[in-house]
Amino acid sequence: MSERRLSPNLVIGAALVTLVCGVALLSVIWTPHPHAVINVAQKFAPASAEHWLGTDQLGRDLVSQLMVAAGNSMMVAMLAVGVGCVLGTSLGLLAAARGGWTEEAIMRVSDLGFAFPALLFAIMLAAAYGPSLSVVVVAIAFINIPIFARVSRAAANQVWHREYVYAARAAGMGRFAISRDHILPNIAAPVIVQATIEFAVAILTEAALSYLGLGAQPPAPSWGRMLSEAQTLMYLAPQLAIWPGLCIFVAVLGFGLLGDGLRDMTDPRLVRERRA
Amino acid sequence: MIEVEGLSITSAAGPILRDVGLHVAPGERLGVVGESGSGKTLLAMSLMGMVPDGLSVTGSIRIDGAEMCGADESAWRRLRARRMAMIFQEPMSALNPLRRVGDTVAEPLIRHLGLAPRAARDKALALFDETGILDPERRLSQYPHQLSGGQRQRVLIALALACDPELLIADEPTTALDANVALRITRLLVRLAEERRMGLLFISHDLAAVSRTTERLMVMYGGDVVETGATAEVLRAPAHPYTAGLLSARPSLAAHGKRRLPTIPGSVPPPQELPRGCRFSGRCGQEIARCAAEMPQPVTTAPDSWAACHLLQARAKGAGA
Repeated sequence: MSERRLSPNLVIGAALVTLVCGVALLSVIWTPHPHAVINVAQKFAPASAEHWLGTDQLGRDLVSQLMVAAGNSMMVAMLAVGVGCVLGTSLGLLAAARGGWTEEAIMRVSDLGFAFPALLFAIMLAAAYGPSLSVVVVAIAFINIPIFARVSRAAANQVWHREYVYAARAAGMGRFAISRDHILPNIAAPVIVQATIEFAVAILTEAALSYLGLGAQPPAPSWGRMLSEAQTLMYLAPQLAIWPGLCIFVAVLGFGLLGDGLRDMTDPRLVRERRA
Repeated sequence: MIEVEGLSITSAAGPILRDVGLHVAPGERLGVVGESGSGKTLLAMSLMGMVPDGLSVTGSIRIDGAEMCGADESAWRRLRARRMAMIFQEPMSALNPLRRVGDTVAEPLIRHLGLAPRAARDKALALFDETGILDPERRLSQYPHQLSGGQRQRVLIALALACDPELLIADEPTTALDANVALRITRLLVRLAEERRMGLLFISHDLAAVSRTTERLMVMYGGDVVETGATAEVLRAPAHPYTAGLLSARPSLAAHGKRRLPTIPGSVPPPQELPRGCRFSGRCGQEIARCAAEMPQPVTTAPDSWAACHLLQARAKGAGA
Protein backbone atom coordinates (compact mmCIF):
# COMPACT_ATOMS: atom_id res chain seq x y z
CA MET A 1 0.00 0.00 0.00
CA SER A 2 2.76 2.43 0.93
CA GLU A 3 4.39 2.33 -2.51
CA ARG A 4 1.16 3.42 -4.21
CA ARG A 5 1.91 6.90 -5.51
CA LEU A 6 -0.85 9.46 -5.68
CA SER A 7 -1.14 10.94 -9.13
CA PRO A 8 -0.39 14.67 -9.49
CA ASN A 9 -3.89 15.12 -10.94
CA LEU A 10 -5.39 13.81 -7.75
CA VAL A 11 -3.24 15.95 -5.47
CA ILE A 12 -3.71 19.19 -7.42
CA GLY A 13 -7.42 18.50 -7.92
CA ALA A 14 -7.96 17.73 -4.25
CA ALA A 15 -6.08 20.89 -3.24
CA LEU A 16 -8.14 23.13 -5.55
CA VAL A 17 -11.40 21.50 -4.48
CA THR A 18 -10.49 21.91 -0.83
CA LEU A 19 -9.69 25.57 -1.46
CA VAL A 20 -12.98 26.28 -3.27
CA CYS A 21 -15.09 24.32 -0.76
CA GLY A 22 -13.24 25.93 2.16
CA VAL A 23 -13.93 29.42 0.84
CA ALA A 24 -17.56 28.48 0.15
CA LEU A 25 -18.02 27.21 3.70
CA LEU A 26 -16.25 30.22 5.16
CA SER A 27 -18.57 32.57 3.27
CA VAL A 28 -21.48 31.21 5.28
CA ILE A 29 -20.06 32.53 8.54
CA TRP A 30 -17.69 35.28 7.46
CA THR A 31 -16.95 37.60 4.57
CA PRO A 32 -14.70 40.67 4.72
CA HIS A 33 -17.73 42.89 4.00
CA PRO A 34 -21.43 42.21 3.62
CA HIS A 35 -21.52 41.19 -0.04
CA ALA A 36 -24.62 43.15 -1.07
CA VAL A 37 -23.94 46.51 0.56
CA ILE A 38 -23.83 49.24 -2.08
CA ASN A 39 -21.47 52.13 -1.59
CA VAL A 40 -21.46 54.22 -4.75
CA ALA A 41 -18.87 56.61 -3.36
CA GLN A 42 -16.43 53.70 -3.35
CA LYS A 43 -17.21 52.35 -6.87
CA PHE A 44 -14.37 50.90 -8.91
CA ALA A 45 -12.06 51.14 -5.91
CA PRO A 46 -8.69 49.53 -6.64
CA ALA A 47 -7.32 46.68 -4.55
CA SER A 48 -6.42 47.87 -1.06
CA ALA A 49 -6.18 46.64 2.51
CA GLU A 50 -9.86 47.55 2.91
CA HIS A 51 -11.08 45.89 -0.31
CA TRP A 52 -8.60 43.13 -1.23
CA LEU A 53 -9.62 42.93 -4.84
CA GLY A 54 -11.32 46.30 -5.03
CA THR A 55 -15.01 47.03 -5.58
CA ASP A 56 -17.43 46.81 -8.49
CA GLN A 57 -19.51 49.44 -10.30
CA LEU A 58 -21.80 49.81 -7.27
CA GLY A 59 -18.98 49.84 -4.72
CA ARG A 60 -19.65 46.28 -3.48
CA ASP A 61 -16.66 44.35 -2.15
CA LEU A 62 -15.42 41.97 -4.84
CA VAL A 63 -13.87 39.36 -2.52
CA SER A 64 -17.07 39.06 -0.50
CA GLN A 65 -19.13 38.63 -3.65
CA LEU A 66 -16.79 35.98 -5.04
CA MET A 67 -16.92 34.08 -1.74
CA VAL A 68 -20.70 34.07 -1.52
CA ALA A 69 -20.88 33.15 -5.21
CA ALA A 70 -18.61 30.18 -4.50
CA GLY A 71 -21.09 29.06 -1.83
CA ASN A 72 -24.03 29.42 -4.22
CA SER A 73 -22.20 27.61 -6.96
CA MET A 74 -21.26 24.68 -4.68
CA MET A 75 -24.79 24.49 -3.33
CA VAL A 76 -26.32 24.35 -6.81
CA ALA A 77 -23.80 21.76 -8.01
CA MET A 78 -24.21 19.64 -4.89
CA LEU A 79 -28.00 19.62 -5.02
CA ALA A 80 -28.17 19.07 -8.77
CA VAL A 81 -25.53 16.37 -8.97
CA GLY A 82 -26.81 14.79 -5.74
CA VAL A 83 -30.38 14.51 -7.00
CA GLY A 84 -29.24 13.40 -10.46
CA CYS A 85 -26.88 10.84 -8.96
CA VAL A 86 -29.41 9.30 -6.55
CA LEU A 87 -32.21 9.11 -9.13
CA GLY A 88 -29.96 8.08 -12.00
CA THR A 89 -28.12 5.41 -10.03
CA SER A 90 -31.41 4.00 -8.73
CA LEU A 91 -32.70 3.75 -12.28
CA GLY A 92 -29.45 2.16 -13.44
CA LEU A 93 -29.59 -0.40 -10.63
CA LEU A 94 -33.22 -1.14 -11.41
CA ALA A 95 -32.44 -1.57 -15.10
CA ALA A 96 -29.60 -3.99 -14.36
CA ALA A 97 -31.62 -5.91 -11.78
CA ARG A 98 -34.74 -6.36 -13.90
CA GLY A 99 -33.23 -6.69 -17.34
CA GLY A 100 -35.57 -7.37 -20.25
CA TRP A 101 -38.00 -4.70 -21.31
CA THR A 102 -37.61 -2.70 -18.07
CA GLU A 103 -33.94 -2.22 -18.85
CA GLU A 104 -34.69 -1.39 -22.49
CA ALA A 105 -37.32 1.17 -21.49
CA ILE A 106 -35.11 2.88 -18.92
CA MET A 107 -32.13 3.06 -21.24
CA ARG A 108 -34.11 4.31 -24.24
CA VAL A 109 -35.73 7.04 -22.13
CA SER A 110 -32.23 7.89 -20.89
CA ASP A 111 -31.12 8.27 -24.50
CA LEU A 112 -33.95 10.75 -24.95
CA GLY A 113 -32.69 12.65 -21.91
CA PHE A 114 -29.21 12.70 -23.40
CA ALA A 115 -30.55 14.21 -26.58
CA PHE A 116 -32.12 17.11 -24.65
CA PRO A 117 -29.72 20.06 -24.13
CA ALA A 118 -29.58 21.34 -20.55
CA LEU A 119 -29.60 24.93 -21.71
CA LEU A 120 -32.80 24.47 -23.66
CA PHE A 121 -34.44 22.74 -20.72
CA ALA A 122 -33.36 25.55 -18.36
CA ILE A 123 -34.73 28.19 -20.74
CA MET A 124 -38.01 26.29 -20.89
CA LEU A 125 -38.22 26.07 -17.10
CA ALA A 126 -37.23 29.72 -16.71
CA ALA A 127 -39.94 30.73 -19.15
CA ALA A 128 -42.51 28.76 -17.19
CA TYR A 129 -41.46 29.45 -13.59
CA GLY A 130 -39.27 32.55 -13.85
CA PRO A 131 -35.48 32.45 -13.66
CA SER A 132 -34.00 31.35 -10.33
CA LEU A 133 -31.32 29.09 -8.89
CA SER A 134 -33.97 26.40 -8.36
CA VAL A 135 -34.53 26.31 -12.10
CA VAL A 136 -30.81 25.79 -12.56
CA VAL A 137 -30.77 22.99 -9.99
CA VAL A 138 -33.69 21.19 -11.62
CA ALA A 139 -32.25 21.58 -15.12
CA ILE A 140 -28.82 20.25 -14.16
CA ALA A 141 -30.29 17.43 -12.06
CA PHE A 142 -32.45 16.45 -15.00
CA ILE A 143 -29.55 16.10 -17.42
CA ASN A 144 -27.55 14.21 -14.80
CA ILE A 145 -30.16 11.45 -14.37
CA PRO A 146 -29.46 9.66 -17.68
CA ILE A 147 -25.71 10.06 -17.22
CA PHE A 148 -25.75 8.27 -13.87
CA ALA A 149 -28.32 5.75 -15.07
CA ARG A 150 -26.01 4.76 -17.90
CA VAL A 151 -22.83 4.60 -15.82
CA SER A 152 -24.40 2.65 -12.97
CA ARG A 153 -26.25 0.23 -15.25
CA ALA A 154 -23.08 -0.63 -17.16
CA ALA A 155 -21.14 -1.18 -13.95
CA ALA A 156 -24.02 -3.06 -12.30
CA ASN A 157 -24.41 -5.42 -15.25
CA GLN A 158 -20.79 -6.43 -14.78
CA VAL A 159 -21.21 -6.98 -11.06
CA TRP A 160 -24.35 -9.08 -11.64
CA HIS A 161 -22.11 -11.67 -13.29
CA ARG A 162 -19.65 -11.86 -10.43
CA GLU A 163 -19.60 -15.12 -8.58
CA TYR A 164 -20.51 -13.56 -5.25
CA VAL A 165 -23.74 -12.36 -6.75
CA TYR A 166 -24.49 -15.92 -7.90
CA ALA A 167 -23.68 -17.00 -4.36
CA ALA A 168 -26.09 -14.41 -2.97
CA ARG A 169 -28.79 -15.57 -5.40
CA ALA A 170 -28.11 -19.17 -4.41
CA ALA A 171 -28.64 -18.04 -0.82
CA GLY A 172 -32.13 -16.92 -1.82
CA MET A 173 -31.53 -13.17 -1.89
CA GLY A 174 -33.96 -11.14 -3.95
CA ARG A 175 -32.99 -8.71 -6.66
CA PHE A 176 -33.62 -5.69 -4.49
CA ALA A 177 -31.53 -6.96 -1.58
CA ILE A 178 -28.71 -7.96 -3.92
CA SER A 179 -28.77 -4.56 -5.60
CA ARG A 180 -28.53 -2.80 -2.26
CA ASP A 181 -26.05 -5.05 -0.45
CA HIS A 182 -23.84 -6.34 -3.22
CA ILE A 183 -24.20 -4.30 -6.40
CA LEU A 184 -24.31 -0.75 -5.04
CA PRO A 185 -21.15 -0.95 -2.89
CA ASN A 186 -19.26 -2.48 -5.78
CA ILE A 187 -20.25 0.17 -8.31
CA ALA A 188 -19.62 3.06 -5.90
CA ALA A 189 -16.19 3.83 -7.35
CA PRO A 190 -17.24 4.63 -10.94
CA VAL A 191 -20.33 6.47 -9.68
CA ILE A 192 -18.26 8.66 -7.35
CA VAL A 193 -15.79 9.40 -10.15
CA GLN A 194 -18.66 10.35 -12.43
CA ALA A 195 -20.19 12.54 -9.71
CA THR A 196 -16.93 14.44 -9.30
CA ILE A 197 -16.68 15.09 -13.02
CA GLU A 198 -20.35 16.05 -13.25
CA PHE A 199 -19.73 18.46 -10.37
CA ALA A 200 -17.31 20.36 -12.62
CA VAL A 201 -19.82 20.33 -15.48
CA ALA A 202 -22.55 21.54 -13.12
CA ILE A 203 -20.45 24.51 -11.97
CA LEU A 204 -19.85 25.44 -15.60
CA THR A 205 -23.52 25.05 -16.50
CA GLU A 206 -24.62 27.11 -13.52
CA ALA A 207 -22.19 29.86 -14.55
CA ALA A 208 -23.49 29.73 -18.13
CA LEU A 209 -27.13 29.86 -17.08
CA SER A 210 -26.50 32.72 -14.64
CA TYR A 211 -24.56 34.54 -17.35
CA LEU A 212 -27.66 34.28 -19.53
CA GLY A 213 -29.73 35.62 -16.65
CA LEU A 214 -31.59 32.37 -16.05
CA GLY A 215 -29.90 31.57 -12.75
CA ALA A 216 -29.03 33.59 -9.67
CA GLN A 217 -31.03 36.81 -9.48
CA PRO A 218 -29.63 40.02 -7.95
CA PRO A 219 -28.53 40.59 -5.29
CA ALA A 220 -27.48 36.91 -4.96
CA PRO A 221 -23.99 36.88 -6.44
CA SER A 222 -22.95 34.30 -8.98
CA TRP A 223 -19.75 33.99 -10.94
CA GLY A 224 -21.65 33.75 -14.19
CA ARG A 225 -23.77 36.84 -13.55
CA MET A 226 -20.74 38.80 -12.32
CA LEU A 227 -19.11 37.99 -15.67
CA SER A 228 -22.07 39.20 -17.66
CA GLU A 229 -22.29 42.43 -15.64
CA ALA A 230 -18.58 43.02 -16.06
CA GLN A 231 -18.81 42.48 -19.78
CA THR A 232 -19.94 46.02 -20.55
CA LEU A 233 -17.21 47.39 -18.29
CA MET A 234 -14.40 45.36 -19.83
CA TYR A 235 -12.30 48.40 -20.84
CA LEU A 236 -13.07 50.34 -17.69
CA ALA A 237 -12.51 47.65 -15.09
CA PRO A 238 -11.22 44.37 -16.59
CA GLN A 239 -10.51 42.92 -13.13
CA LEU A 240 -14.30 42.62 -12.56
CA ALA A 241 -14.40 39.99 -15.33
CA ILE A 242 -11.03 38.42 -14.68
CA TRP A 243 -11.62 37.41 -11.04
CA PRO A 244 -14.95 35.59 -11.45
CA GLY A 245 -13.58 33.99 -14.61
CA LEU A 246 -10.58 32.77 -12.69
CA CYS A 247 -12.84 31.40 -9.95
CA ILE A 248 -14.85 29.37 -12.49
CA PHE A 249 -11.60 28.15 -14.01
CA VAL A 250 -10.15 27.05 -10.68
CA ALA A 251 -13.33 25.31 -9.50
CA VAL A 252 -13.92 23.45 -12.77
CA LEU A 253 -10.27 22.50 -13.12
CA GLY A 254 -10.16 21.30 -9.51
CA PHE A 255 -13.15 18.98 -9.80
CA GLY A 256 -12.07 17.81 -13.24
CA LEU A 257 -8.59 16.87 -12.04
CA LEU A 258 -9.97 15.26 -8.89
CA GLY A 259 -12.34 13.14 -10.97
CA ASP A 260 -9.53 12.10 -13.30
CA GLY A 261 -7.27 11.29 -10.38
CA LEU A 262 -9.95 9.23 -8.66
CA ARG A 263 -10.60 7.35 -11.87
CA ASP A 264 -6.91 6.55 -12.27
CA MET A 265 -6.84 5.30 -8.71
CA THR A 266 -9.94 3.14 -8.81
CA ASP A 267 -10.10 1.79 -12.36
CA PRO A 268 -8.55 -1.68 -12.14
CA ARG A 269 -7.58 -1.66 -15.80
CA LEU A 270 -5.51 1.48 -15.38
CA VAL A 271 -4.02 0.21 -12.12
CA ARG A 272 -2.86 -2.94 -13.89
CA GLU A 273 -1.37 -0.96 -16.78
CA ARG A 274 0.61 1.19 -14.42
CA ARG A 275 1.99 -1.82 -12.58
CA ALA A 276 3.04 -3.50 -15.80
CA MET B 1 -35.27 -34.95 -2.23
CA ILE B 2 -34.49 -33.89 -5.76
CA GLU B 3 -35.46 -35.86 -8.87
CA VAL B 4 -34.48 -34.87 -12.37
CA GLU B 5 -35.80 -36.61 -15.45
CA GLY B 6 -35.18 -35.95 -19.13
CA LEU B 7 -33.63 -32.58 -18.42
CA SER B 8 -32.44 -30.87 -21.58
CA ILE B 9 -31.10 -27.37 -21.94
CA THR B 10 -30.87 -25.86 -25.38
CA SER B 11 -29.29 -22.66 -26.60
CA ALA B 12 -29.86 -21.03 -29.96
CA ALA B 13 -26.75 -22.86 -31.20
CA GLY B 14 -27.91 -26.32 -30.13
CA PRO B 15 -28.42 -28.58 -27.14
CA ILE B 16 -26.03 -28.09 -24.22
CA LEU B 17 -27.55 -30.69 -21.92
CA ARG B 18 -29.40 -33.74 -23.22
CA ASP B 19 -31.78 -35.97 -21.37
CA VAL B 20 -30.14 -35.85 -17.94
CA GLY B 21 -31.70 -37.80 -15.10
CA LEU B 22 -30.62 -37.98 -11.49
CA HIS B 23 -32.00 -38.24 -8.00
CA VAL B 24 -30.51 -37.35 -4.66
CA ALA B 25 -32.21 -38.47 -1.46
CA PRO B 26 -31.46 -37.00 1.98
CA GLY B 27 -28.01 -38.11 3.11
CA GLU B 28 -27.12 -39.41 -0.35
CA ARG B 29 -23.92 -38.24 -2.02
CA LEU B 30 -23.84 -38.12 -5.81
CA GLY B 31 -20.78 -37.17 -7.84
CA VAL B 32 -20.79 -35.63 -11.30
CA VAL B 33 -17.57 -35.77 -13.29
CA GLY B 34 -16.61 -34.65 -16.74
CA GLU B 35 -14.19 -32.24 -18.31
CA SER B 36 -14.78 -28.55 -18.85
CA GLY B 37 -17.63 -27.97 -21.25
CA SER B 38 -19.47 -31.16 -20.39
CA GLY B 39 -22.37 -29.26 -18.86
CA LYS B 40 -21.68 -29.95 -15.18
CA THR B 41 -21.96 -26.37 -14.02
CA LEU B 42 -25.05 -25.74 -16.12
CA LEU B 43 -26.64 -28.79 -14.54
CA ALA B 44 -25.90 -27.35 -11.09
CA MET B 45 -27.29 -23.96 -12.11
CA SER B 46 -30.46 -25.57 -13.42
CA LEU B 47 -31.03 -27.26 -10.06
CA MET B 48 -30.82 -23.83 -8.42
CA GLY B 49 -33.13 -22.25 -11.00
CA MET B 50 -30.29 -20.02 -12.14
CA VAL B 51 -29.97 -21.00 -15.79
CA PRO B 52 -28.75 -17.95 -17.75
CA ASP B 53 -31.36 -16.06 -19.76
CA GLY B 54 -31.83 -17.16 -23.32
CA LEU B 55 -31.51 -20.91 -22.70
CA SER B 56 -34.58 -23.11 -22.89
CA VAL B 57 -35.01 -25.77 -20.24
CA THR B 58 -37.22 -28.80 -20.81
CA GLY B 59 -37.83 -31.98 -18.86
CA SER B 60 -38.66 -32.37 -15.21
CA ILE B 61 -37.00 -31.06 -12.05
CA ARG B 62 -38.95 -32.20 -9.02
CA ILE B 63 -37.96 -30.81 -5.66
CA ASP B 64 -39.82 -32.33 -2.71
CA GLY B 65 -42.42 -33.49 -5.17
CA ALA B 66 -43.05 -30.05 -6.67
CA GLU B 67 -42.36 -29.61 -10.36
CA MET B 68 -39.92 -26.71 -10.70
CA CYS B 69 -39.09 -26.86 -14.39
CA GLY B 70 -40.41 -23.62 -15.83
CA ALA B 71 -41.16 -22.16 -12.39
CA ASP B 72 -40.64 -18.43 -12.02
CA GLU B 73 -37.90 -16.64 -10.12
CA SER B 74 -39.94 -16.04 -6.97
CA ALA B 75 -40.89 -19.73 -6.70
CA TRP B 76 -37.23 -20.67 -7.01
CA ARG B 77 -36.20 -18.02 -4.48
CA ARG B 78 -38.47 -19.61 -1.89
CA LEU B 79 -36.57 -22.88 -2.28
CA ARG B 80 -33.05 -21.53 -2.48
CA ALA B 81 -31.07 -21.63 0.75
CA ARG B 82 -33.87 -23.56 2.51
CA ARG B 83 -34.20 -26.58 0.20
CA MET B 84 -31.00 -26.47 -1.75
CA ALA B 85 -27.86 -24.40 -1.48
CA MET B 86 -24.77 -24.15 -3.58
CA ILE B 87 -21.07 -23.57 -3.12
CA PHE B 88 -18.82 -22.39 -5.88
CA GLN B 89 -15.59 -23.13 -7.59
CA GLU B 90 -13.72 -19.96 -6.74
CA PRO B 91 -13.86 -19.12 -3.05
CA MET B 92 -11.82 -16.04 -3.95
CA SER B 93 -14.54 -14.49 -6.05
CA ALA B 94 -17.65 -15.99 -4.48
CA LEU B 95 -17.49 -13.63 -1.51
CA ASN B 96 -18.30 -9.95 -1.82
CA PRO B 97 -14.94 -8.23 -1.23
CA LEU B 98 -16.64 -5.27 0.46
CA ARG B 99 -18.65 -7.19 3.09
CA ARG B 100 -17.53 -8.73 6.34
CA VAL B 101 -17.88 -12.49 5.97
CA GLY B 102 -19.98 -12.62 9.14
CA ASP B 103 -22.52 -10.27 7.56
CA THR B 104 -22.60 -12.35 4.38
CA VAL B 105 -23.43 -15.48 6.38
CA ALA B 106 -25.91 -13.69 8.66
CA GLU B 107 -27.84 -12.25 5.71
CA PRO B 108 -29.92 -15.34 4.80
CA LEU B 109 -30.48 -16.04 8.51
CA ILE B 110 -32.06 -12.63 8.95
CA ARG B 111 -34.00 -12.72 5.71
CA HIS B 112 -35.20 -16.29 5.58
CA LEU B 113 -35.32 -17.39 9.20
CA GLY B 114 -36.32 -13.99 10.57
CA LEU B 115 -33.57 -13.98 13.18
CA ALA B 116 -32.62 -10.75 14.94
CA PRO B 117 -29.15 -9.49 14.00
CA ARG B 118 -27.78 -10.57 17.36
CA ALA B 119 -29.19 -14.11 17.04
CA ALA B 120 -28.05 -14.30 13.42
CA ARG B 121 -24.53 -13.46 14.52
CA ASP B 122 -24.62 -16.23 17.12
CA LYS B 123 -25.91 -18.69 14.54
CA ALA B 124 -23.22 -17.58 12.07
CA LEU B 125 -20.65 -18.18 14.81
CA ALA B 126 -22.04 -21.67 15.38
CA LEU B 127 -21.89 -22.35 11.62
CA PHE B 128 -18.29 -21.13 11.47
CA ASP B 129 -17.53 -23.48 14.31
CA GLU B 130 -19.29 -26.38 12.59
CA THR B 131 -17.41 -25.84 9.33
CA GLY B 132 -14.09 -25.83 11.15
CA ILE B 133 -13.18 -22.18 10.71
CA LEU B 134 -10.31 -21.33 13.00
CA ASP B 135 -10.84 -18.52 15.48
CA PRO B 136 -14.48 -18.06 14.34
CA GLU B 137 -15.23 -15.14 16.64
CA ARG B 138 -12.56 -12.99 15.01
CA ARG B 139 -13.33 -14.22 11.48
CA LEU B 140 -16.91 -12.93 11.66
CA SER B 141 -15.77 -9.33 11.35
CA GLN B 142 -13.06 -9.95 8.75
CA TYR B 143 -13.17 -9.26 5.04
CA PRO B 144 -12.61 -11.98 2.40
CA HIS B 145 -9.11 -10.76 1.54
CA GLN B 146 -8.02 -11.48 5.12
CA LEU B 147 -8.89 -15.18 4.77
CA SER B 148 -7.03 -18.00 3.06
CA GLY B 149 -8.64 -19.96 0.22
CA GLY B 150 -9.58 -22.89 2.43
CA GLN B 151 -11.08 -20.61 5.09
CA ARG B 152 -13.07 -18.78 2.44
CA GLN B 153 -14.45 -22.04 1.09
CA ARG B 154 -15.48 -22.91 4.65
CA VAL B 155 -17.22 -19.54 4.94
CA LEU B 156 -19.11 -20.34 1.74
CA ILE B 157 -20.07 -23.73 3.10
CA ALA B 158 -21.28 -22.03 6.29
CA LEU B 159 -23.31 -19.64 4.12
CA ALA B 160 -24.80 -22.56 2.21
CA LEU B 161 -25.69 -24.41 5.41
CA ALA B 162 -27.28 -21.34 7.03
CA CYS B 163 -30.89 -22.33 6.42
CA ASP B 164 -30.45 -26.12 6.79
CA PRO B 165 -30.82 -27.09 3.13
CA GLU B 166 -31.75 -30.65 2.18
CA LEU B 167 -29.38 -30.63 -0.74
CA LEU B 168 -25.97 -29.06 -1.05
CA ILE B 169 -24.66 -28.56 -4.57
CA ALA B 170 -20.90 -28.23 -4.62
CA ASP B 171 -19.62 -27.01 -8.00
CA GLU B 172 -15.93 -27.93 -8.15
CA PRO B 173 -15.40 -26.79 -4.56
CA THR B 174 -11.81 -28.04 -4.45
CA THR B 175 -10.53 -26.97 -7.86
CA ALA B 176 -9.06 -23.69 -6.67
CA LEU B 177 -7.54 -25.17 -3.52
CA ASP B 178 -4.27 -26.97 -2.99
CA ALA B 179 -4.40 -30.73 -2.53
CA ASN B 180 -4.07 -30.73 1.23
CA VAL B 181 -6.81 -28.16 1.78
CA ALA B 182 -8.97 -29.89 -0.84
CA LEU B 183 -8.71 -33.13 1.12
CA ARG B 184 -9.94 -31.43 4.29
CA ILE B 185 -12.80 -29.71 2.48
CA THR B 186 -14.04 -32.98 0.98
CA ARG B 187 -13.88 -34.64 4.40
CA LEU B 188 -15.84 -31.74 5.84
CA LEU B 189 -18.51 -32.09 3.14
CA VAL B 190 -18.88 -35.83 3.80
CA ARG B 191 -19.13 -35.25 7.54
CA LEU B 192 -21.72 -32.49 7.13
CA ALA B 193 -23.81 -34.58 4.72
CA GLU B 194 -23.80 -37.48 7.17
CA GLU B 195 -24.44 -35.45 10.32
CA ARG B 196 -27.19 -33.36 8.79
CA ARG B 197 -28.75 -36.10 6.62
CA MET B 198 -28.23 -33.72 3.73
CA GLY B 199 -27.99 -34.70 0.08
CA LEU B 200 -24.76 -33.75 -1.64
CA LEU B 201 -24.27 -33.19 -5.33
CA PHE B 202 -20.53 -33.03 -5.79
CA ILE B 203 -19.35 -31.75 -9.15
CA SER B 204 -15.71 -32.13 -9.98
CA HIS B 205 -13.18 -33.23 -12.53
CA ASP B 206 -10.94 -34.49 -9.74
CA LEU B 207 -11.60 -38.23 -9.65
CA ALA B 208 -9.73 -38.65 -6.39
CA ALA B 209 -11.92 -36.05 -4.69
CA VAL B 210 -15.04 -37.66 -6.13
CA SER B 211 -14.06 -41.12 -4.97
CA ARG B 212 -13.45 -39.81 -1.44
CA THR B 213 -16.67 -37.87 -1.31
CA THR B 214 -19.46 -39.69 -3.09
CA GLU B 215 -21.35 -42.98 -3.08
CA ARG B 216 -22.75 -42.78 -6.56
CA LEU B 217 -21.22 -41.28 -9.67
CA MET B 218 -22.45 -39.80 -12.91
CA VAL B 219 -20.02 -39.28 -15.79
CA MET B 220 -20.91 -36.55 -18.25
CA TYR B 221 -19.54 -35.81 -21.67
CA GLY B 222 -20.67 -33.08 -24.04
CA GLY B 223 -23.96 -32.59 -22.23
CA ASP B 224 -24.85 -36.28 -22.06
CA VAL B 225 -24.66 -38.63 -19.11
CA VAL B 226 -22.51 -41.44 -20.48
CA GLU B 227 -22.22 -43.65 -17.42
CA THR B 228 -23.61 -43.89 -13.94
CA GLY B 229 -23.26 -46.30 -11.04
CA ALA B 230 -21.75 -46.81 -7.62
CA THR B 231 -18.64 -44.63 -7.40
CA ALA B 232 -16.29 -47.42 -6.34
CA GLU B 233 -17.57 -49.76 -9.08
CA VAL B 234 -17.42 -47.20 -11.85
CA LEU B 235 -13.89 -46.21 -10.93
CA ARG B 236 -12.77 -49.82 -10.54
CA ALA B 237 -14.28 -51.11 -13.76
CA PRO B 238 -15.34 -48.27 -16.05
CA ALA B 239 -17.81 -49.45 -18.69
CA HIS B 240 -17.66 -46.45 -20.99
CA PRO B 241 -14.48 -45.68 -22.97
CA TYR B 242 -14.69 -42.03 -21.87
CA THR B 243 -14.68 -42.97 -18.18
CA ALA B 244 -11.79 -45.30 -18.85
CA GLY B 245 -9.97 -42.48 -20.64
CA LEU B 246 -10.53 -40.11 -17.72
CA LEU B 247 -9.23 -42.71 -15.30
CA SER B 248 -6.08 -43.48 -17.25
CA ALA B 249 -5.36 -39.76 -17.60
CA ARG B 250 -4.81 -39.47 -13.85
CA PRO B 251 -1.21 -38.73 -12.98
CA SER B 252 0.17 -41.43 -10.72
CA LEU B 253 3.19 -41.20 -8.48
CA ALA B 254 4.18 -44.83 -9.06
CA ALA B 255 4.53 -44.32 -12.78
CA HIS B 256 6.20 -40.96 -12.45
CA GLY B 257 8.90 -40.43 -15.03
CA LYS B 258 8.44 -43.87 -16.55
CA ARG B 259 5.71 -43.04 -19.00
CA ARG B 260 4.00 -40.18 -20.71
CA LEU B 261 0.69 -39.32 -19.11
CA PRO B 262 -2.00 -40.81 -21.35
CA THR B 263 -4.51 -38.24 -22.53
CA ILE B 264 -7.81 -38.21 -24.34
CA PRO B 265 -6.94 -36.59 -27.68
CA GLY B 266 -8.57 -33.26 -28.51
CA SER B 267 -11.05 -31.37 -26.37
CA VAL B 268 -14.82 -31.20 -26.00
CA PRO B 269 -16.12 -29.52 -29.18
CA PRO B 270 -18.48 -26.54 -28.78
CA PRO B 271 -22.17 -27.59 -28.55
CA GLN B 272 -22.98 -26.83 -32.18
CA GLU B 273 -20.09 -29.02 -33.42
CA LEU B 274 -20.79 -32.07 -31.27
CA PRO B 275 -21.38 -35.26 -33.30
CA ARG B 276 -24.99 -36.28 -33.73
CA GLY B 277 -24.54 -39.81 -32.46
CA CYS B 278 -22.36 -40.67 -29.52
CA ARG B 279 -20.94 -37.36 -28.37
CA PHE B 280 -17.60 -38.99 -27.66
CA SER B 281 -17.13 -40.27 -31.20
CA GLY B 282 -14.21 -38.62 -32.91
CA ARG B 283 -12.15 -38.75 -29.71
CA CYS B 284 -12.85 -42.34 -28.75
CA GLY B 285 -10.11 -44.92 -29.29
CA GLN B 286 -12.52 -47.81 -29.75
CA GLU B 287 -14.90 -46.21 -32.18
CA ILE B 288 -16.97 -48.41 -34.50
CA ALA B 289 -18.94 -47.50 -37.61
CA ARG B 290 -22.25 -46.48 -36.10
CA CYS B 291 -20.85 -44.37 -33.23
CA ALA B 292 -20.87 -41.05 -35.09
CA ALA B 293 -24.33 -41.46 -36.59
CA GLU B 294 -26.41 -43.19 -33.96
CA MET B 295 -26.97 -42.22 -30.34
CA PRO B 296 -26.19 -45.20 -28.08
CA GLN B 297 -28.87 -46.40 -25.66
CA PRO B 298 -28.10 -46.99 -22.00
CA VAL B 299 -27.03 -50.55 -21.23
CA THR B 300 -27.45 -51.82 -17.70
CA THR B 301 -24.08 -52.91 -16.36
CA ALA B 302 -25.04 -53.65 -12.77
CA PRO B 303 -28.11 -53.00 -10.60
CA ASP B 304 -28.77 -49.25 -10.78
CA SER B 305 -25.79 -48.74 -13.09
CA TRP B 306 -25.64 -48.14 -16.80
CA ALA B 307 -23.46 -46.82 -19.56
CA ALA B 308 -24.40 -45.56 -23.00
CA CYS B 309 -21.99 -47.07 -25.53
CA HIS B 310 -22.46 -49.05 -28.75
CA LEU B 311 -19.67 -51.42 -27.75
CA LEU B 312 -21.63 -52.49 -24.67
CA GLN B 313 -24.74 -52.92 -26.76
CA ALA B 314 -22.86 -55.12 -29.19
CA ARG B 315 -21.36 -57.11 -26.35
CA ALA B 316 -24.73 -57.51 -24.61
CA LYS B 317 -26.23 -58.72 -27.87
CA GLY B 318 -23.34 -61.09 -28.39
CA ALA B 319 -23.80 -62.51 -24.91
CA GLY B 320 -27.56 -62.86 -25.43
CA ALA B 321 -27.20 -64.71 -28.73
